[in-house]
Amino acid sequence: MFTKKDRKLGVADGKRQYDLPLNRGEGSGFLILLIALMTFLAVLALAVSFVLGAMSERWSSGLENKLTIEIPAETIVESDENIIIPNEDVKSLTFDIAEAIKEHPAVQSADILSEEEIASLISPWLGDDLALGDIPLPGLISVQLHVTSPETLRVLEKITQDISPSARLDTHESWLNDLLRFTGAMQFASLMITLIIGATTITAVAGAIRSRMAIHKEEVELLHLMGAKDDYITEQFQRHALTLTLQGSVVGVLGGGIIMVLVSLISGETAAALVPDFKLNGLHMVILFLLPVMACGISALTARHTVLRVLANMP
Amino acid sequence: MIKFENVGLRYGVGPEVLSDIDFALEPGSFHFLTGPSGAGKTSLMNLMYLGRRPTRGLVTMFGQNINDLDRRRLAPIRQRIGVVFQDFRLMNHLSAFDNVALPLRILGRPEKEIENNVNELLEWVGLGDKMNVLPPTMSGGEQQRIAIARAVIARPRLLLADEPTGNLDDEIGFRLMNLFDQLNRMGTTIVIATHSQAIMDKLGHPRLILDSGHLHVESGNDKNWIQKKIEGVF
Repeated sequence: MFTKKDRKLGVADGKRQYDLPLNRGEGSGFLILLIALMTFLAVLALAVSFVLGAMSERWSSGLENKLTIEIPAETIVESDENIIIPNEDVKSLTFDIAEAIKEHPAVQSADILSEEEIASLISPWLGDDLALGDIPLPGLISVQLHVTSPETLRVLEKITQDISPSARLDTHESWLNDLLRFTGAMQFASLMITLIIGATTITAVAGAIRSRMAIHKEEVELLHLMGAKDDYITEQFQRHALTLTLQGSVVGVLGGGIIMVLVSLISGETAAALVPDFKLNGLHMVILFLLPVMACGISALTARHTVLRVLANMP
Repeated sequence: MIKFENVGLRYGVGPEVLSDIDFALEPGSFHFLTGPSGAGKTSLMNLMYLGRRPTRGLVTMFGQNINDLDRRRLAPIRQRIGVVFQDFRLMNHLSAFDNVALPLRILGRPEKEIENNVNELLEWVGLGDKMNVLPPTMSGGEQQRIAIARAVIARPRLLLADEPTGNLDDEIGFRLMNLFDQLNRMGTTIVIATHSQAIMDKLGHPRLILDSGHLHVESGNDKNWIQKKIEGVF
């Protein structure tokens, strides 16, 4: 063991790590910081992508083979004015439609939503203190089909409109498609951002390795002239890049993890009824925590490729 | 062992610094390489330790045509060559021990063997008490001894030394020339670039004389060397 004083006097410290002076300052800290930031951003981008994917999945699976029949509380008469239908009539129309619909073989169930259920659906817009008698409420029937086909929808629409011409079938398709298209685009953007982050990391590592090779050109040449094979020299740079990347990426993933926990807590507190919870499943968590391993792999391969390319120019 | 046939070397588009170099070194031979400054000694050494490929001509080393060899297949040939550079080219961040151990590590020798061999050699060159010292804090002579120890530690088949005794006092210089001589007796081919007429006269080995990029070989007066050849030591 050598003391700091010994080193000052020109005595080597205990154990050599590399033949090349790679473990000395010269931008190592900068590369660690850069990789930490890149990994942090990659964690966030991937997490967003996973959450969006989970949201789309939940939305689409939750509404698969489902439709809603709405019997409006107001109807249009020939005089072209909106007329409020009495609540009792809306209820009886809703009941008639539900009974008629149930007869169709494609229908698994047709449940009339109670006034309380309807009130809870509209409470995000109108508040919880809504007095149900104050406003006319539409009738809503939640229909679960065995299988959805255009023919079935056409027949159900006819049955419904025979009873109440102003009743509407909502297959959720139009708004769900828009929503899925939007989340798909966001997911794609997140993945692209992740790829750009990966490419930036590769460029940064390659640049750092090239600069290290330029700084230590004489030492690399010496090893080469002493008969060191390309793998011997490459292995040192690879190990160096791997060490720095591991340090940076672990910090980045931990930082990203903390942010995700905070976002999860905040989104949980807001209890957004329109947006599903910001939660990741086990596989997603594993992928995110494997990011340092992936980053190390990418970094080591980049270092290897870079060093081999430079060595190829030596005699 | 080494054969240069009609070899020429130029840097970039400049004039040839070496022209029509023809010589052959037998295994176990001992030669001095000499000539005035700028004659091309370092360039010729460079070609011999495979730091460069010739611009023209044929170089054969250890029975292999260097010109046709893929660069990755040159590494095993370089491992058989020990070089003492004029400017030592030590790794300043490594201790004396680790500098000398480098060739053995490149060869993948076990650490125990490395430790034994390096300790023994550093003791022998008088640096046993400076194994953990970094080269920048050592004197020129000490650095040179490390450079020489590094060049010979792996028992190379060819030893090239560029002015190896330049910074050494007579006693150490003599001990190191003695080391070269012992290596030579064990079969190592040795080429020493030197300006020292005294050393060349004293040891009397054949001389490769370079002048303005051209080389001619002058036989030496080394009775021991001739005797050794007659006795079939080589």
